[in-house]
Amino acid sequence: MSNKTGIIIRREYLERVKKKSFIITTILMPVLMLGMMCLPALLMNVNISDARRIGVIDNSGVIAPQLVDTDLAHYTRVDISPDSMYARTDYDGFVIINSDIVRNPSGVTLYTREASSMELEQSLNDNIADAIESERLKAIDMTNVRNILDSVRADVNMSTFRLTDEAGTSGTSSAISYAIGLIMSIVLYMFLLMYGQMVMTSIIEEKNNRVLELVVTSVKPTQLMMGKIIGVGLVAVTQLALWAVLMVVLSASVVPLFFSPEIAGEIAAYNSGSLDAATASIDIEGLQALSIIGNPAYIAGIFGYLLLFLVGGFLLYAALYAAIGSSVDNIQDGSQLQSFVIIPLIVGFIVSTTIAANPTSSLAVWLSMIPFTSPMVMMTRIPFGIPTWEIIVSLILLYLSFIAVVWFAAKVYRVGIFMHGKKPTVKQLIQWARYK
Amino acid sequence: MNILEVHNVSKHFTGHTALDDVSLNVPQGSVYGLLGPNGAGKTTLIRIINHITAPDSGHVLFDGHRLVEGDVASIGYLPEERGLYKKMKVGEQALFFAMLKGMSRKEATARLKEWFEKFDILDWWNKKVEELSKGMAQKVQFIVTVLHRPKLLIFDEPFSGFDPINANLLKEEILTLHREGATVIFSTHNMASVEALCDEITLINNSHNILSGNVAEIRNRLGGNRTAFTVSGDTAVVAEHLGNLGARFESSLLDNGDTRLLVTPATGATMRPIIEAVNSHLDIKSIEPAIPSMEEIFINTVKQNSQQ
Repeated sequence: MSNKTGIIIRREYLERVKKKSFIITTILMPVLMLGMMCLPALLMNVNISDARRIGVIDNSGVIAPQLVDTDLAHYTRVDISPDSMYARTDYDGFVIINSDIVRNPSGVTLYTREASSMELEQSLNDNIADAIESERLKAIDMTNVRNILDSVRADVNMSTFRLTDEAGTSGTSSAISYAIGLIMSIVLYMFLLMYGQMVMTSIIEEKNNRVLELVVTSVKPTQLMMGKIIGVGLVAVTQLALWAVLMVVLSASVVPLFFSPEIAGEIAAYNSGSLDAATASIDIEGLQALSIIGNPAYIAGIFGYLLLFLVGGFLLYAALYAAIGSSVDNIQDGSQLQSFVIIPLIVGFIVSTTIAANPTSSLAVWLSMIPFTSPMVMMTRIPFGIPTWEIIVSLILLYLSFIAVVWFAAKVYRVGIFMHGKKPTVKQLIQWARYK
Repeated sequence: MNILEVHNVSKHFTGHTALDDVSLNVPQGSVYGLLGPNGAGKTTLIRIINHITAPDSGHVLFDGHRLVEGDVASIGYLPEERGLYKKMKVGEQALFFAMLKGMSRKEATARLKEWFEKFDILDWWNKKVEELSKGMAQKVQFIVTVLHRPKLLIFDEPFSGFDPINANLLKEEILTLHREGATVIFSTHNMASVEALCDEITLINNSHNILSGNVAEIRNRLGGNRTAFTVSGDTAVVAEHLGNLGARFESSLLDNGDTRLLVTPATGATMRPIIEAVNSHLDIKSIEPAIPSMEEIFINTVKQNSQQ
């Protein structure tokens, strides 16, 4: 790389990294992401509405005593005729239970003043079903039938392990892999789009205020383009690296603080495959999640791959964005040509959600090889554990196509930066690439 | 010795030809005018000289050798359309451009300070470019163009956008650089500056070189042997006599009531019989050779060329 490209890279990099907006997003983004992940959990714990007062008109007389109050509803047995319940505004609703409910479980009606919620209906349904079940059990002439049934009932908690090449096993969880894969895919999509467009808008800006004319008096247009792409790319890498460091540090230091010694022991036991699920204090799925989040090596590995695909994908897309930016005069014109670039990006991103559900399907394998979708799709698949050669082939294809695209983009760029006026067609862009 | 030789350069774009077999020589130490109407191909030629675009055919010799990329370090080019990075500080930006020309940071800083002092703009060093006026930004652009002491300076419409005071300051600086040994090329259609500054010119029209040479020689050659008379009285009385001598003439009324008579004698004829004819009918106040201005030559030559 020539010294001049180095000077361009330095300027492009420092101009962006020194900006306040860069520093703020770099620090705030992980906090926001963490917040977004925690928000649903937090919301679930917040009691949004008060429990409703439900009057129970029980014509069978056996169900009402067995109804259990929940966060959603408080049940009170009332002895009024159904006609008079409209007047009783001190209740939010009434449930009417027919006298033959034990024989005919469909004899239940719920009336509410405001719309009832699915959760309320579900909980009431389960509650009544349990009551009917135990009434029916009473009718069976058998001692201890409840105890027998309880001892027969089983809760299945599956632990999954992946057979790895080293003849050992490692704990996996499809749910965790799914989540990590999707997050990686989102991060890539965001970075490629954001930083790709940054390259485009910055070229349009240089072209419009004619600073380009001055720069190319001492630097070849191709050097300028590569300098910009690499400079902006390094900004993306810096941001990602800062996030990675932040998360590895969190994972190594902060997360274990929340573990009691007991849970830490269970995680160790889980990882060695000797955990007795029956005695565990938290469920297996949670344990798996904690074991992954608290494993810096795993997180560093994922970020390593992310970096490789981010760089390859960025170089590929940024080169296309550079060609587009050089050929138009304003962002509006740019956004039309841009659809050629955005469509594969969006396809890769959307397909990732499907692929996360079935990471070894042939669609998944193909799309993780095709350079334009491979960064997002491959990053979705990697957490599930796929053969290393697939990753290597995908990376080689990605970087090879980058070289081809840069060659084309550079040819368009050196002509495009001096073209002002009408927005060119794709056909014209190809003609430009043929100029000597 | 020519510092720059352009040999049979052609450049085609889709739908039009920017340069068609253009050749020219720029002598070492000259002030050279590259003239031509808008869209004639001047900027494309300059871009080829600056190694920004490559010619389809033909070649360029710089200082006796084939132009290579490294030669741009010996060339300073101020484009007509030029800008600066708005968000960057002036000093930092000037350093950026200087280092792109291959100067070390230390050397560039020292020379920049000198120039900033000379232009009395040292207090701009830490200002952002967007705070500067257009004229101020142009001074900075000029400085970064000449900072690396190039052998060849190319200015594309350098004086447009400058107020007369600053334009003059700029002109003086360019002439100083010329005295110190730099060869200067002006690309312009400002003919007054060409007459005042340039030794040699090339006129490009419709992607062809239609006129090249020494300014004084061109003016004499293209002026033919026209003679300008300032006379008083009605010039109609000499019309017949001049016609008999085979001479062509045109007359125009001057503000003070006198008439200016421009006479071109018949091919091979001398001026003497014409002067006698005029003298016998009109009062002659002055007689002088009528050398056309570069502007006239420019307009006439371009017109003739376009008609062909």
